Amino acid sequence: MSALELKGLTVSYGKGRRVMTAVDNVDLTIPSGGFLGLVGESGSGKSSLGRAVAGLAPVTSGQILVDGAPLARRSLFGRTAQPVQMIFQDPSGSLDPRMTVGASIAEGVAAGGARGGRADRSAEVRRLLELVSLDPRHATSLPSRLSGGQRQRVALARALASAPSLLVADEITSALDVSVQGSVLNVVREAVATLNITTLFISHNLAVVTAMCDEIAVMYAGRIVEKAPTAELVSRPRHPYTRALLDAVPSLRRPAPRADAKVLDTEPPDPFHLPAGCPFNPRCPAGPGVHADRQICTERRPQFVELNARHLAACHFPGAVTHDTVERSAHANASLPT
Amino acid sequence: MTATTAPAAPRGLTSRGPVNPWVRFLARRLFRFAASLLGLMVMAFVLIQLIPGDPARNSLGITASAQSVAQRRVELGLDKSLLDQFGHFVGGVFTGDLGTSFNLGLPVSEIIGQRWAETARLAVLAFLLAVVVAVPLGAAIAAATSGGRRRFLDMAFTSVTGLAYSIPGFLLAVGLSYVFAVRMKLLPIAGTDTVSGYVLPVIALAVGPAAALARIVRLETLRVLGEDFVRTARSKRLPTLRVFLRHVIPNTLTPTLSMGGLMLGGLLAGTILVETIFVLPGLGSTLTQSVTTKDYPMVQALVLVTGGAVLLINLVVDMLIAVADPRSTILEG
Amino acid sequence: MTRRRLPAFLRTPLGISGAAGVAVLAVIAVVAPILFEDQATTGKVADAQLPPSAEYWLGTDSLGRDVFARVLVATRLSLELSLAATALCVVAGVVIGVLPVVLGRRLGRLVTAVVDFAVAFPGLLLALFLIVIFGAGSSGAVLAVGLSGAPFFARLTHTLASGIAQRDYIAASRMLRVGPVRLLVRHFLPNVAEPIVLNATIIFASVLQAFAALSFLGLGVQPPSYDWGQLFNEGLARIYVNPGQALGAAAAIVFAGLSFSALGEALSHAAGRRSGQGRRKTESAATAVSPAAERDEFAETSARLRVSGLRVEVLPEGTAESFEAVREVSFEIEAGESVGIVGESGSGKSLTASAIAGLLPTGAYATAGRIDFGGRDLRPLTVSQRAKALGTSISMVFQDPMTALNPSMRVGAQLAEVVQVHEGADRKSAMARAVGRLGQVRIPAPARRARQFPHEMSGGMRQRAVIGIGVMGSPQLIIADEPTTALDVTVQRQVLDLLEQVRADNDASLMLISHDLGVVAQRCQRALVMYGGTIVEELTTDMLRETAAHPYTRALLDCVPEVMSEPGGHLVTIPGTPPEPSAMSEGCPFAARCVSADDRCRSERPRLEAQGRAGHRVACWYPQVMVKADTLVGPGGGGA
Repeated sequence: MSALELKGLTVSYGKGRRVMTAVDNVDLTIPSGGFLGLVGESGSGKSSLGRAVAGLAPVTSGQILVDGAPLARRSLFGRTAQPVQMIFQDPSGSLDPRMTVGASIAEGVAAGGARGGRADRSAEVRRLLELVSLDPRHATSLPSRLSGGQRQRVALARALASAPSLLVADEITSALDVSVQGSVLNVVREAVATLNITTLFISHNLAVVTAMCDEIAVMYAGRIVEKAPTAELVSRPRHPYTRALLDAVPSLRRPAPRADAKVLDTEPPDPFHLPAGCPFNPRCPAGPGVHADRQICTERRPQFVELNARHLAACHFPGAVTHDTVERSAHANASLPT
Repeated sequence: MTATTAPAAPRGLTSRGPVNPWVRFLARRLFRFAASLLGLMVMAFVLIQLIPGDPARNSLGITASAQSVAQRRVELGLDKSLLDQFGHFVGGVFTGDLGTSFNLGLPVSEIIGQRWAETARLAVLAFLLAVVVAVPLGAAIAAATSGGRRRFLDMAFTSVTGLAYSIPGFLLAVGLSYVFAVRMKLLPIAGTDTVSGYVLPVIALAVGPAAALARIVRLETLRVLGEDFVRTARSKRLPTLRVFLRHVIPNTLTPTLSMGGLMLGGLLAGTILVETIFVLPGLGSTLTQSVTTKDYPMVQALVLVTGGAVLLINLVVDMLIAVADPRSTILEG
Repeated sequence: MTRRRLPAFLRTPLGISGAAGVAVLAVIAVVAPILFEDQATTGKVADAQLPPSAEYWLGTDSLGRDVFARVLVATRLSLELSLAATALCVVAGVVIGVLPVVLGRRLGRLVTAVVDFAVAFPGLLLALFLIVIFGAGSSGAVLAVGLSGAPFFARLTHTLASGIAQRDYIAASRMLRVGPVRLLVRHFLPNVAEPIVLNATIIFASVLQAFAALSFLGLGVQPPSYDWGQLFNEGLARIYVNPGQALGAAAAIVFAGLSFSALGEALSHAAGRRSGQGRRKTESAATAVSPAAERDEFAETSARLRVSGLRVEVLPEGTAESFEAVREVSFEIEAGESVGIVGESGSGKSLTASAIAGLLPTGAYATAGRIDFGGRDLRPLTVSQRAKALGTSISMVFQDPMTALNPSMRVGAQLAEVVQVHEGADRKSAMARAVGRLGQVRIPAPARRARQFPHEMSGGMRQRAVIGIGVMGSPQLIIADEPTTALDVTVQRQVLDLLEQVRADNDASLMLISHDLGVVAQRCQRALVMYGGTIVEELTTDMLRETAAHPYTRALLDCVPEVMSEPGGHLVTIPGTPPEPSAMSEGCPFAARCVSADDRCRSERPRLEAQGRAGHRVACWYPQVMVKADTLVGPGGGGA
């Protein structure tokens, strides 16, 4: 178990005129043993952030600290597995189709620095399969014999095999049917809690994230726009984008809310040409598209400020979504009482 | 969007940068063409250097006198330093001086000047024949057999094209000339003094590539028929022919064009055998003779000419694809 | 695995003939030099230049040697040389193909560029130039032919390897800091081996041809050695005296070429099928439900769309056995109604929709039942009859907007052609209508967008354009098959709002297919829940939470995650996995995962029967009346 800290993390692709900043100067902390959900839409940079933490995407600038120490860059000839492991979205690509489930997991066990013979290793593989609620007899199966949900659990077992202190889970159930999604998510949460692993859980589905995580960060256009404990974020979202995401979750319990006609049809931004000021402003129901006097949104980028002890948001008019009776000046943001 | 893949293709109205993508595409492509030409020159030059032993001695044989070998060394420029040789070679390429043929004693450029047209005529005629036969055939067969219908037709097509493709061009050439020229005396055995002289060589040259092209066109057409947008077109209840002409065929163009480019290049190679069999004075038969008799300057020049032709074909094909497929120029940049 | 797979390609005539031909060649190559060496190398001068006869099947050559024996004996050398050249070709190709990965970016790019150029260069030309270096003769020809094919394999290897490098399992191994050697040996090689071997078989035929050509030109095998090409060359010189030799050699060359390419083709077909389609054999299940009874039930209604007893069979490509993916589906949709079809993958919901629209994919057939729309059964109609009967009255919206539009056609033209074809509108007025409709589906700057190609638009915009196509005419039924699955949640809402607006504007009915019960609950008046190819429950969406009676519906309701203010708590899941459509049991399709299933459920399929309130039908022997999902007990008792 370790704490994860991102300081000014930036990930960009391409060069020259065609540069795209997928993750833009992000500060984020997950306490040791914490379970943070990262929500956003495609192109928001959430996957890039996750991959950077796992050492799979190039860090353009900034730092990734594990327990205060910078994460060692990936070296081709490193001896042991890195402390951060990751599970991916696509169950068909996450396991080598030519390797048995047991061999895939054993690769992780060996990389975890475990000593011991073949028997020890296969005992460990059995233990891991049981940990993810799979029949240990699956060890001799090829991935093609398993269902999508089972493969994702094998992927989890392999990630856990090297005894990581941090786990990144990137959209691990979005390719699965809803009836089996829970079988993967439950196993992730139980295993992570048992082993006390700090977890970054990435998903586009806010409902899944609220069910899984203690704390949620919302990402838009490469930046974190809001971060709060789950209960707080759900009951008192402060950023209009968070509110939009919450409304967009299809629910059995309430009718579909109507979107604001004035910003109804605006598109997600082009990652190569982000709007000036707050990148959400053209789509914002609390922004200049609806309120003509809020020109500051198109001019200045809002700072990520603390609204209370654990609730941060990057908005010039936080909380203005539900009740916009009080016009707040951008300068007063930092000192606003909640 | 996942972070590992390259940034998504630009979209929206703002995606066009200040430079027209067409200009950028052309500039890139021409630069690549020039670089490849340079590479080709290096290759042609290196070819002679790589010949084990003494090329001069090789070309003259063991019985040649030391004096004539020394003379040939001078002819080949082998007495100079490597850098000088290369400089001389490149200079020669630009002034059209590619050396003198050992066999014919004539400037290589002159021989090529006389003979390239014959080869080009053969290749282009065979290309046109193949395209005219194969493209409609492949598309029609695909349309008729899509969705597992008319299994028999499908199998007949596969067998015929498989057979046509498996018969080497030179066997076909010999067979055709034996049957139609030697036995039936319908067409000339050799030479292209009359138009009818082209019939057999062109057919012999075209059959194999046509079979391959017809198969590719069929596969591509079947692939496109399975695409979502064809389903969309069907959902509009358009007449089948319109679906085919407006939605299917245009989208098979890109792979068909690339295949066509490769095929034209392949036809250049095919002329080697066909020209030899029908005794036609083209670059192909010249190449065979030059390789057999170790006429190095001639071989070197032919590397340049055929290689240049292949590069040119590639360039033209890329341009055509860029015109045919609106996505390609943008994706390139 | 390889062993189990062999029969697949041997089952086709192509595979059998190819394999048999190759086997024959192999036997001849081994046996012929032992048996016929004498006849082939020593001849009687007296017998020189004989035409074919009973003694000498193909006659004799100028030295009186038996040509037939020579052709047979030449098999070994011909195959050996081709094999050597193919091996060289593959090895050199794989090494060069891996280079770009090893060398790093700049050098790697150079190698790739050279390979790209060499691939475009015709093989025979390349071989001839290489012969200049290596010299004429067997070994020179092997080197020349082998190396001239190397660029092809280099490119193949490169493409395959870079494809694998993108896969997540490579990333996973990198995170485990698996060393490069192990990465290569355990992950890359096993995954590229199969396509490489496959292509080697195909290339072998070309190599054989190239050899024959070189020997024919006098640049390959030199006398006194002889292969087929050389025999042909010799035979050609004496074709007027004895055509036997040329014919025999030519026949051998063609036979070998055909055998190897047939084998290669059969192998790659088998491989393609494996990666493309599902596996396992199918058991098709018989049902006792009578379609006639189903039909009577609806006899009196005047629904806009009425589907009764619909069955869809799927015949996976290359297999002989079909399976039923949609079984006895009956429902109706009234004018102006929105009906949702909910189900997981393999439930048959999309096939049902496609069958109604007449757009079933290749290999799927609607085999029984009626699809009544506008007073006519659509099922037996041909494409053109259907076009005439329907015109623009059924419109479709598909799942993936990125692929649903023709990439080589401007968006406006794709809308305009609908009215050009169906109403005979001229180009200009059709285009004007298209621009108007793009505006109606709320695409900003529609005139400019109409001139764009699909790739210049975002996914949300494209989906609007697809909806725009649907409203070019006068739709009475809009079938939307997972229209928002590929879109972001915020865009999803926009598109669903738009669909509802378009439905209302045209007074059309909407059939919304979705895997998401939440979407259907929010957007539709009625829901049809599908599982294992059948409708297991039909009810109004306001009944969903309270009165749903099928154990599957109830369980699914509990699986849908809601936004919670407190994390934790066990997420509900249904044990097991959805059934393979190809391996359906005779009983209730949900029996294997159902808590209250008994022997009856496993052996006898329940019919969709009216249940309690109007508009509620359930196909279950023990419909649930409890509200709580965690105490799933049917009134009939779970035990047997």
